[in-house]
Amino acid sequence: MKRLAAVVALLGLTAVTACSGGGTTNESSSGGGGGGLFTTIDVNRPGIDPNGPANPYNPKGNSFLGYNAMKLAWVKNHLTDPNQFYPGIAESWEIAEDNSSITIKLHAGNKWSDGRPVTAEDVRLSIGVAYTQGSTAFALTPGAAGAAADVEVVDDLTVKVTQDMTNPSSKFARGVLDTFVAPAHIWGSVLPDDFWDKLKASRGEGEDAEKAREEITALGEKIIAFAPEKDVSAGPFTLERVNPGEALLVKNPNFYNAANVAPDQVKFLNYTGNEQIWNYLISGKLDHAGFTAAPADVMNRIKQAPGTNIIKGYSPVAVGMAFNQTKKPYDNVHVRRGLAYLIDRAEVTKVASPEGGTAAVTTSGIHQKPAQEWLGAELNNLEPYNPDPAKAEEEFEAAGLQKKDGKWALPDGSPWKVTMTAPSGFSDWIAAQENIKGQLVEAGVDAEVVTVADYPLYLEEIAAGKYDVGFWLIALGPAPYDIFQRLYGASNGWTNVAGKITHSAPGKNGNWMGGAEEVEVDGTKINPGELTGKLNSVGAEEAKPIMLQLAKAANQDLPVIQLWDYVNTQFTNTSRFTGFPEQDSDLLRLPAGVWIQLGMVKKTS
Amino acid sequence: MTVIARRLAGHLARGIVMILVVATISFFIVRNIPGDPVAARYQKLLEQGMSPEAAERATAVMYGFLPQGSMWEQYVDYMTGLFRLDLGVSVTHPGSPVTSVLLGAAKWTVLPVLAGTLLSFLVGVIMGVYAAIKRSGKLGDFLAVSGSLLHGVPQYVLALLMGAIFTTLIPILPQGGTADILYEPGFNAGYIGSLIEHATLPVVTYALASYGGWILAMKSSVVTVLGDDFILAAELRGMKRTIVFRYVARNAILPLFTILALSLGLLFGGAIFIEKIFNYPGLGFLLIDSVVNRDYALMGGAFLLITAAIIVANILADLFYSVIDPRVRSGEEVSA
Repeated sequence: MKRLAAVVALLGLTAVTACSGGGTTNESSSGGGGGGLFTTIDVNRPGIDPNGPANPYNPKGNSFLGYNAMKLAWVKNHLTDPNQFYPGIAESWEIAEDNSSITIKLHAGNKWSDGRPVTAEDVRLSIGVAYTQGSTAFALTPGAAGAAADVEVVDDLTVKVTQDMTNPSSKFARGVLDTFVAPAHIWGSVLPDDFWDKLKASRGEGEDAEKAREEITALGEKIIAFAPEKDVSAGPFTLERVNPGEALLVKNPNFYNAANVAPDQVKFLNYTGNEQIWNYLISGKLDHAGFTAAPADVMNRIKQAPGTNIIKGYSPVAVGMAFNQTKKPYDNVHVRRGLAYLIDRAEVTKVASPEGGTAAVTTSGIHQKPAQEWLGAELNNLEPYNPDPAKAEEEFEAAGLQKKDGKWALPDGSPWKVTMTAPSGFSDWIAAQENIKGQLVEAGVDAEVVTVADYPLYLEEIAAGKYDVGFWLIALGPAPYDIFQRLYGASNGWTNVAGKITHSAPGKNGNWMGGAEEVEVDGTKINPGELTGKLNSVGAEEAKPIMLQLAKAANQDLPVIQLWDYVNTQFTNTSRFTGFPEQDSDLLRLPAGVWIQLGMVKKTS
Repeated sequence: MTVIARRLAGHLARGIVMILVVATISFFIVRNIPGDPVAARYQKLLEQGMSPEAAERATAVMYGFLPQGSMWEQYVDYMTGLFRLDLGVSVTHPGSPVTSVLLGAAKWTVLPVLAGTLLSFLVGVIMGVYAAIKRSGKLGDFLAVSGSLLHGVPQYVLALLMGAIFTTLIPILPQGGTADILYEPGFNAGYIGSLIEHATLPVVTYALASYGGWILAMKSSVVTVLGDDFILAAELRGMKRTIVFRYVARNAILPLFTILALSLGLLFGGAIFIEKIFNYPGLGFLLIDSVVNRDYALMGGAFLLITAAIIVANILADLFYSVIDPRVRSGEEVSA
């Protein structure tokens, strides 16, 4: 037993030594943090990596958007206009009327956390880096829509970026302003001296241009892995330290609006599953958390936590029940319509996403809120597909389906089962499919729900055309092209290369929806994919009639049944801080760091 | 060469072959797991509000971190790298070598599992002896029932229960993480106190989950030894109870040392549910994350580390047993 005790003591000592931090300096505790500690969680990024660099391009990096990672400007959550912003590194900007250029003016006197001034050279370097990372405005693909043609440093605080007008995009300004800005004096080494020559060469054609593009793309890996020795930020905070469970950021006194930044410190908490976020919210630990789906009882407990304040607003995404039209009987529009008449979307939404969604009023391919802006009164003329078993029966009969012993069968009399697939872990999608299954079975349509292991597998299999019916995110606003690209893009056969739209047959090049290449709308045949492509370059007024045509096509042809429109739900707690955005604010899709840097968030007195 | 040295050399040779075989099998299994990590990342970026083209270009960068070439070429690269302890580059931690990602996470797994294993071993062995000696009394019954009960409850149920009690109902322990970031890391009371506070739930849960196995094994072993002739002989010779107890304990604990050594082999992979539930970011969490994101290099590395640890633990258990059990040692010497 003595030997056992000795072994145990030795192992125990080893464990204690291991936890002591490997002989780091013995400093006294700095716990407490005063009254200015803002505690939050990045719901888009589980798993804080203590070895991650302070690098905004690294997905596991310890650069937190809006806190120590800054962009030129912050995109507003606008219903229809993709070119609305709040100031970031840029104080102001001027967009040419024809979208051919944008002139960016930086804040005068703004400094990095190490005291060096923020200049136009920082922006130029960051644009160079953006070319290596894949950016809308700074794309290397020849002829890419909305790509920049030139970057000019006008003076220390002014940069002008011009658009290549051979394939212009209305989102050019957004593409430019939505760019991270890194300090040139720290990051300068990541780009080779001849980078800008290489970039120039990459814009041509032929082998040399191709080689230049490859070399620039290859830099992307080096940049992602780049680890500055110390975090140097022009944001309201800088990274102090990080462990596997938490990250600590401290206020940057050099930030241009530091006087209005309330918290002295920000603590990011790690999470591995939604239930941890629920627990944090229930215990009132978090000052802010982005949307996290929660069952009704959990949501009620969160609401009961002292200081809980839930802010809701527009979220430009909807979920649709998508059909693989290469599979029978989903190739028949009457079957799709019949199913639309059988599904009570309000009930589905109530079960699946009571806080995070509102039942779709119809299928238009557009989220309800921007649909009102884009379609106006025409929205009311679209078929709402309200639950109507009689109409469903008419549609099924028109499709030639047979009803035997109260159950619908295929035209040849063989059994028909609606098989819906969802990835495991997507609790709202699975709950929705289970609810739809119940509704369909009650109406005499046999149905089942199949779950697959995870999202990567789901995406691979849905793209391979393995599923009859699956859920698909649509209506990604606010840019019109982005909205319809999900319905009439690659998943339905249309690819857009350098502004040229081509169509692939079902089953080829990722076309798993298998819809018709042409659809008749109001007596005219339209090509939805080509119309969608046009949306990339036209202005808002020109886009409106196209949006209407596409909405009508989606409504009558039903490549998907739009089930619910997502609602942006943000959790805040007013016990320690106030001044959070109002309901429906255009700030809701921006991180709380942006609210703080704009000076909105104040200490609770 | 001594018997033990020969035995060690044989074990090492077999261990290396086994590790290579396991590396080969796990390589092909991992590479053949269906799923598209790039598409998953693309969809995630869309959900976060990135435009489709920007998301497409952003995910294109990921391709650079994915293994290139045919399966055979990838295999040759992987095995060649293995000899240099180079397990490739992680996709989910772009630019970071898999070995450094694994080492970074490993300490947070080893700490609670090692502490939990030792704690449960100590308590379980002592309680096991009492359960055997008092097996016809109420205390013996209670200990045996507690062991069976805890042995039967799945680890994740126990973890959820502990979490619900100590972080929600009676919120006296932290809900996750390894230490409060407000404390400066180092050998200072605040930081170490915070480390212990954060490790308490994972360690105690792991200990409770393992305790049942130890108490039942020890009780069974003691009962067997109590029936041996040499114990009867010792009692008949009038030896003191303490000496008899030492005889019993030393002989009964032998098989448990083997189990303990094997348990230590599970240090790297033994607490997946506990880590997930207590948000304790060790290897278990890393493994789940790598599978979900199809990070082939990281998955392969984690599997390899877990397997290698078990193989090494097996070798050590065997050698350890030779050292502590004279019967095994003398048997080997005779046959040599």
